[in-house]
Amino acid sequence: MPDCAKPLSAWFWVSLLLVFLAWAGRAHGENYQARIIDVQARTNGTSLSIGASLDYRLSPTAREAVLKGIPLTWHVDVQLRKPGLLWDTIVFRQILPVRLKFHALLNQYEVLTPQGQEEMFLTLNAAIHYMSSLHDWVRIDNSLLTDDLVLALKIRFNREKLPVPLRPFSYLDAQWFLSSDWLSWPLAN
Amino acid sequence: MVSLQRLVVMASGKLKLPASVSILALFGFVLLSLQLMSTATQESSALSELYSWLLVINTLGSIILLALVAFNAYSLVRELRKKEAGSRLTLRMISLFVLLALAPAATVFYFSVQFLHRGIDSWFNVEIDRAMDDALELSQSALAQRMNWHIKQTRQIAERLEGKSETLMALELGAITIETGAIEAAVFSGRGHILASSSINPADILPNLPDEQVWLQLKQNKQYFAFDPGEDDEMLVRVILPIERNQNRFLQMFYPIPARMTDLADSIEFAFIRYQEMTFLRNSLKTSFSLLLLLVLLLSLFAAIWIAFISIRAIVAPVRELVKGTQAVAEGDYRRQLPVMTQDDLGFLVESFNQMTRRIARASEETRAAGLEVENQRAYLETILANLTAGVISFDADCRIRTANQAAYRILRIPVSHFVGENLASLAHTHGELDDVLTAIQRLLEQADDIWEQRIVFLGNNGRQELLCRGTPLFSQHGERTGAVVVFDDVTDLIQAQKNAAWGEVARRLAHEIKNPLTPIQLSAERLQHKLSKELPESSQEFLAKATRTIVQQVEAMKRMVDDFSEYARPSKRQVEKLNLIDLIQQVTALYPPSDVNFRFNVASHHVIVEADPVSIRQVLHNLIKNAQEASVGQPCCIDIKVAKAVRNNNDYNNADYVEFSVYDNGSGLNGEQIETIFEPYVTSKAKGTGLGLAIVKKIVEEHGGAIWADTSYNAGAGFVIQLPVFEFGTDE
Repeated sequence: MPDCAKPLSAWFWVSLLLVFLAWAGRAHGENYQARIIDVQARTNGTSLSIGASLDYRLSPTAREAVLKGIPLTWHVDVQLRKPGLLWDTIVFRQILPVRLKFHALLNQYEVLTPQGQEEMFLTLNAAIHYMSSLHDWVRIDNSLLTDDLVLALKIRFNREKLPVPLRPFSYLDAQWFLSSDWLSWPLAN
Repeated sequence: MVSLQRLVVMASGKLKLPASVSILALFGFVLLSLQLMSTATQESSALSELYSWLLVINTLGSIILLALVAFNAYSLVRELRKKEAGSRLTLRMISLFVLLALAPAATVFYFSVQFLHRGIDSWFNVEIDRAMDDALELSQSALAQRMNWHIKQTRQIAERLEGKSETLMALELGAITIETGAIEAAVFSGRGHILASSSINPADILPNLPDEQVWLQLKQNKQYFAFDPGEDDEMLVRVILPIERNQNRFLQMFYPIPARMTDLADSIEFAFIRYQEMTFLRNSLKTSFSLLLLLVLLLSLFAAIWIAFISIRAIVAPVRELVKGTQAVAEGDYRRQLPVMTQDDLGFLVESFNQMTRRIARASEETRAAGLEVENQRAYLETILANLTAGVISFDADCRIRTANQAAYRILRIPVSHFVGENLASLAHTHGELDDVLTAIQRLLEQADDIWEQRIVFLGNNGRQELLCRGTPLFSQHGERTGAVVVFDDVTDLIQAQKNAAWGEVARRLAHEIKNPLTPIQLSAERLQHKLSKELPESSQEFLAKATRTIVQQVEAMKRMVDDFSEYARPSKRQVEKLNLIDLIQQVTALYPPSDVNFRFNVASHHVIVEADPVSIRQVLHNLIKNAQEASVGQPCCIDIKVAKAVRNNNDYNNADYVEFSVYDNGSGLNGEQIETIFEPYVTSKAKGTGLGLAIVKKIVEEHGGAIWADTSYNAGAGFVIQLPVFEFGTDE
């Protein structure tokens, strides 16, 4: 067997694993992922209203980007799933886009709500606090509801809305890992 | 076979896309992909959304091309290790191409990155940074001044409305709106109920009430003022102030900002934000564009190298076939024909190679046929030479033996062909009995410069032999001596036959010329005795009787001599029959009393059947025994008789075809001169002998197909060896 056809040495793979673990550890150690604090589901006879308390956490890089005028966009993904043997069936899905932007002239922060409203805030914390409340923006018709459904939420940071030069690195830099994990629980609860 | 190969090549050529089409398609794909990426880097482009996907696609394309290049490189390395034809040329061309492609591409890439980084850095400097900050601050100051003026204006209106009823407020708000240039004015309670409102737009029935955020700030700060976005990118100044100190009623005013001021502020803000964004993305821009350039470089380079592999392999393919063909020719396959793939110079070269191999094959076939013919001729000549009765020995320039035929072995009785490379002197050293003849031939070979002929007589193991030798020196075309050929024949039998014939003629003439007068002489002498004895005196009678007796005796002696000659010259009238030679010998020896002759036998077998005339063989034995008796005068005669199997004609011992019986006596023996002439007529050492006894013996033996010679190695007396063809030689077990 030719030398060049030999499998890569074990040292190479061990080194690669260590590098990956170090990278993963670094990403885990500086966690800026958004979190879903609380979810409220209220029924008013004809529909189910979904509210939630969200926690958007901005990394130093993301915070600096906002101050430099780069808008950040999140998509709150709300799904109603029916568990299956191999995969879940999505019964209902609604994506709520939220955008945070800084107005240098007015020295204010603008939040663009899923309804298309622009809300201005004097401080970044005020803007993020406003974004943290899901104000019954999701309503699900009762006809779709069954006891075996699962409600799932995820805050997905939209990297593709970043400037082009920043996009490739946002997929590699933990400072831009601003999405949350999926949070799901049975609707019967 | 060749046409089949061509057919396969043609068929495969039809199935495959031409390389040029593949290369063009690949280049088109690479250019399209890179152009899409280039377009996607612009924020305003619709492809901007696909930037990441395009990046991934191009990266995957680069990886695939890299894999293709690596696979081709690996294949090339394997071909090099196997030393396949054309692999080294491919490596050389690929290396040259990579070097020529990589060097300028890497140079361009390096300087492009350098220029790019410097270009990006040149966008930013302290002056521009400060100017942008100043411009923004100026805009903010202008807006703040406008804001402060509208706050003061609103405060005056609030004081004017203080203490008035809701009805009066409603009446005054219209006038105030017109006076101040506001677009909307409203009074609402602390719980958010509208108390009075006015708007320059009649369609706006309800005023724009504060939301939760505004209420929160209003309760905290007792006042609220901010810039609000209006319709059509219009900017408004929103001021909310309490009318009374107990804050039960609030006045809200919306003032428009002039369009020109809004446009200028927006422009400054856009530029500022853009500048800030670029400042933030400074390093990302550098890295991103560098990576993009690197991607372009790698994609182009890998594509070019891969295409180089395809193209160079296509170019080298005829060369590879040529090398294979050359190797086949070198290994002797002259029928190899190569497929003509292209009609260019290489195709011409391949066609020329095919013509060359065809000619070589034809020439080789002719050479082979000629060689076969030469070989047949040589074999034919060797067969003739081997079957010649004359011995032929060839020598090189140093008189060393090169070849010898079978007849040389038969005549000299030594395997001359086993001594190739040696000279005759060394041969004579190991075979002493041939010393005379071999030394003589060696001397003639060394001395003679021309054809020579000589009779050489020597005494071998089989007795006296006479060879007629002819030597011919061999010369090259340049006159240099290259060797010699010696042809010799054993003429012993021929000479002996000539002598026998001569002696036979002599005997016949003697019998005819001498014997006829003898009877009248004898009768005349007896008549003289009879007639004159009575007439002569007594003294003369005695003389007459004595003379007459002498004449008669001599005539009788001459008669016997003539009879012997007649016997010698008479054609043989043998009655051949199968007889046991041992029995015959014992019968003959039994006739001699042991007191006279002491026989000692050494017999290998008692069953030796020969086809011979018993009378003649008896005569042979009697003659030899009589000779032994006569040679042993004055001492007891002892005769040793040996019978053994004999090998002649180069047969092996098991196929021996002769019986050899030897007779050895203890007499006076033979000297050298006698040995040479002992079998010739009239050669005798006895006083009364005719000298025909051994001549007759020899004649009888030769008439039976045998041979007789004096054993020169025996010194205790005389020894004679007789060989006769044997019919059956039994074994005593």
